[in-house]
Amino acid sequence: MNNQPPKWAIKLLSWYCRPELLEDLEGDLYELFDAQHKKYGTKKAGWFFIWAVIRSIRPSTIRLFNRTQNTRLMFTTHNIKIAARVLWRDKFSALLNISGLSIGIICFILLGLYVLQESTFDRFHTKTDRLYRSYLYEDYGEGHTFFNAVTPLRFETFFEDNFPEVEAAVQVRLTNTLVGVFDQRINEEFAIISPEFFQVFDFKVLQGSSKKPFDNRTSIILSRAYAEKFFGDNNPIGKVIDLEMKDVFESFTVSAVFDDMPFNSSIKFDMAVSNELNDEIYDEQRLNAWFSVSPETYVLLKKGTAIQSVNEKIQDIVMSYLGEDLQRNEYNIRFQPITDIHLNPEIPAGNSAANNPKYVYILGFIGALVLILACINYTTLAMGNSLKRNKEVAVRKVLGALRPTLINQYLTESVIIATLSTAIGTITALMAVPVFNSLTNSTLNYSFEWMHLAYFLGMGLLIGLIAGIYPVWALSGGKVLALLQKTSQSKTSHGIRKVMVVFQFAMTVFLLTSTMIMQRQLDFLQNKDLGFSQDASLAVEIPTDQSLRSRSKQVAVTLQNHALLKAELAKSPDIDNITMASHTFGSTSWAHMAFTDKNEVFRRFYFLQVDEYYLDAFDIKLIDGRGFETESGLDKRQSIIINQAAADYFNFENPIGEKLPGNDFGEHQIIGVIDDIHFSSLHNKVQPLVLAQNILPIYEGISDINVGGSILPKLLFKYTGQNLVEAETILSAAWEKVFPNQSLDFHFMDQAIKQQYENEAQLKKLISVASTISIIIAAIGLLGLTVLVINSREKEIGIRKVMGASVIQIFRLLAKTYSIQLVIGVLLSVPLTLWLMKDWLDNFAYKVSLTPDLFLMSGLLAMFIAILVVSYHTLKAALVNPIESLRDE
Amino acid sequence: MNQESIGVLEELVLLTVGSITQGAYALTILEEINEKAERNLDVTTIHSVLRRLDKKGYVTSEMGGATKERGGRRKRFFQLTAAGKTVLDENMELRMELYNKIPKFTFSSI
Repeated sequence: MNNQPPKWAIKLLSWYCRPELLEDLEGDLYELFDAQHKKYGTKKAGWFFIWAVIRSIRPSTIRLFNRTQNTRLMFTTHNIKIAARVLWRDKFSALLNISGLSIGIICFILLGLYVLQESTFDRFHTKTDRLYRSYLYEDYGEGHTFFNAVTPLRFETFFEDNFPEVEAAVQVRLTNTLVGVFDQRINEEFAIISPEFFQVFDFKVLQGSSKKPFDNRTSIILSRAYAEKFFGDNNPIGKVIDLEMKDVFESFTVSAVFDDMPFNSSIKFDMAVSNELNDEIYDEQRLNAWFSVSPETYVLLKKGTAIQSVNEKIQDIVMSYLGEDLQRNEYNIRFQPITDIHLNPEIPAGNSAANNPKYVYILGFIGALVLILACINYTTLAMGNSLKRNKEVAVRKVLGALRPTLINQYLTESVIIATLSTAIGTITALMAVPVFNSLTNSTLNYSFEWMHLAYFLGMGLLIGLIAGIYPVWALSGGKVLALLQKTSQSKTSHGIRKVMVVFQFAMTVFLLTSTMIMQRQLDFLQNKDLGFSQDASLAVEIPTDQSLRSRSKQVAVTLQNHALLKAELAKSPDIDNITMASHTFGSTSWAHMAFTDKNEVFRRFYFLQVDEYYLDAFDIKLIDGRGFETESGLDKRQSIIINQAAADYFNFENPIGEKLPGNDFGEHQIIGVIDDIHFSSLHNKVQPLVLAQNILPIYEGISDINVGGSILPKLLFKYTGQNLVEAETILSAAWEKVFPNQSLDFHFMDQAIKQQYENEAQLKKLISVASTISIIIAAIGLLGLTVLVINSREKEIGIRKVMGASVIQIFRLLAKTYSIQLVIGVLLSVPLTLWLMKDWLDNFAYKVSLTPDLFLMSGLLAMFIAILVVSYHTLKAALVNPIESLRDE
Repeated sequence: MNQESIGVLEELVLLTVGSITQGAYALTILEEINEKAERNLDVTTIHSVLRRLDKKGYVTSEMGGATKERGGRRKRFFQLTAAGKTVLDENMELRMELYNKIPKFTFSSI
């Protein structure tokens, strides 16, 4: 044999082939090779050999690779098998365990996501360590303060010119206008921003340039969502959108598209134009003013600089501009890091609202609490179950299992249950996000990433280990003989279990009571008599002529339009009490005016411009003087009505005929005093309020005014028909007749009023979800414990029955075990509930009181649920034939 | 007793094993089949079928006959078992029965 088949092929064959088949297979191939190399030559024979070697790779020839001789792995798989069998044998208890843990995990994850979302606002920008928002705190003494997170327009240049640390200053102003796309006219919110916006913030520009998003003054940029909304799949660049600026539609060309702004950003808008337009939008005075505010101003510091150096210099620089008019530290410009904005409620809201971090932490705390409850449950149930397996442990020990081995096995069981629960829990939680959102009015947003899998599995492992370690320890210890004799539990496990039960009860009652209190407060808020009738009232925005520069001219036009619409609406029999006011109930931005009175004291009050029908329309009570008379010209021009709070505030003994104590007011007199109505939310005490038909005399005398939204009067009316939906139809019809080309903007007042308490309603919903879940968990825990107790006292019960105990007596005996713990739990929860709830209720100027009957109710409710859970098994145990329980040895 | 059914190729190999009374191993079986049935099977196919038949219990094997061409490696000789013979008989019976049922073709002009 001169030639050999290819060596590597031989090697391959002997590597993969089973040893018992190798010899003859190899031999056959060699023989073939030999025959062929004689006939066709070495090369061809060689190819054939290789082909045959490859073709022989079949399942029947491949040998078993024994590389996984890893004992640990084999052991674990063995444990898993055994654990699975154990669970399958006792399905009920396993199910109980798994469902309890899963529910706890669901709650934890949902609340955890909420907390995570709220606390990571604005963190996605890469330059967060150098990004700040400026705010303005003016303090002129005597309560004469102004605190705003929106700033004067001149701040942008002010910061850029005077501070070398500032790399760029960017302004963002949000406002509304009518937008025209093709034939539609819709009222949309849009932003006016500095062109360097995208170089400071990390929002992606999808089409167009991030350095120069606006080609010129008439450019507009859109978010991806809005580009799709207006133009579908077509390329939006170059398309034209009309915006109504000052009553005239101006055309803007789309020059860029940016990625939708994420939910957890304090800066959010979908359309923007450049603030080069400021000179067109604002008048000269506002552009240069120090005291009139509009946009938010953000600054980006240069790398290596710190905000401290700006803070140190800023008062000096301010003084250099304003030193003649102001004293030091009266005009304070301060900065907060961008990441601080969302959870800092101390600073008034700028463009977006801030959330109270307290609520966020409380919810996080509750989420963790529920999870702990579930884990405690799991531990106690596991401990209970372990008793049943004393014999098994004993046998294993006899057969030679060492303690670590046993620990390993039982810990595996625990981890499996925990991982299974985590898997079920997380999947359910993530699927339940939309349900959670609709239940609690939140906007939780979850996007799955593969990395998260690791977190969840890790969590399962952790829970399994921690919750399982105690029972496993207790179970695997113990002498063999004792185990075989199946004695009852040790003293220590008893004690610990009692503590856990008390803790569970306490937490459940705490959550229950809190929910009840919050519900009570919310009902109170929504049902409290506000002093005026709000049902079936609608408010409509009246169009005006925006091209008019003068405010009073605008008001005049509004009044005319109001009269037109009123005449049309009055034709309908179901519309009544048509009136007018500059603001509606439920809007947060009533005109807040200020002046310095004759004694140099700074005074503030709220102002509402109304017509003569207002008081009657809303059934507002007069407690002194008279209302506006319909035909009185004097009333139209000069009369004002104040509320009781104002009368007290201005120290009027006899308000009728008096005037407001200012120096510059026009001619006016007080003709009446109304009862204190809650015109703003019940968070605040009733403030002084002035009502007048003519704003001028009052307007002349004030030094400052703070208004959100438009001060132009709105039309208000009541619907007296049967079907409230009709109101909208009647309104649209009337509107079409009078203002055919304008878009209709209206709302129902009671909805607006309810919205003031949105935050609280959401919080309450979250807490009630948590408390429902905690009740379920506690019930599951109680169920498991009951089964456990019954099992371990089987003999005792049997003997008692033999001795003549009745079913009721047995029932009472078993029920008594937990009643004491329940009572202790309730008592313990009281101080915690009191403390937290008092803190929350202090947010409201008008609140319910914390009465003991609340605690009693939740305690009874908890007890009732407990009895329900316990009774089934207990009764069954009490009814069982004692022979059977005593027979088992 | 129900025996496992046997495929066409398996039947062919089984028949060949039976017909080669002396020295039936992979290569002789291969040669016989390729010659008689005029097919061009691969040796690895034969190996595979033989292992299957062994598993099913229709053949037995024993080692022997090392040669120089094989580098001293022995051959694996196969023999028909009783079960193997039975299954062949049954198959044959079935085929004959069905075949005899087919009516003789007559070519008549229509």
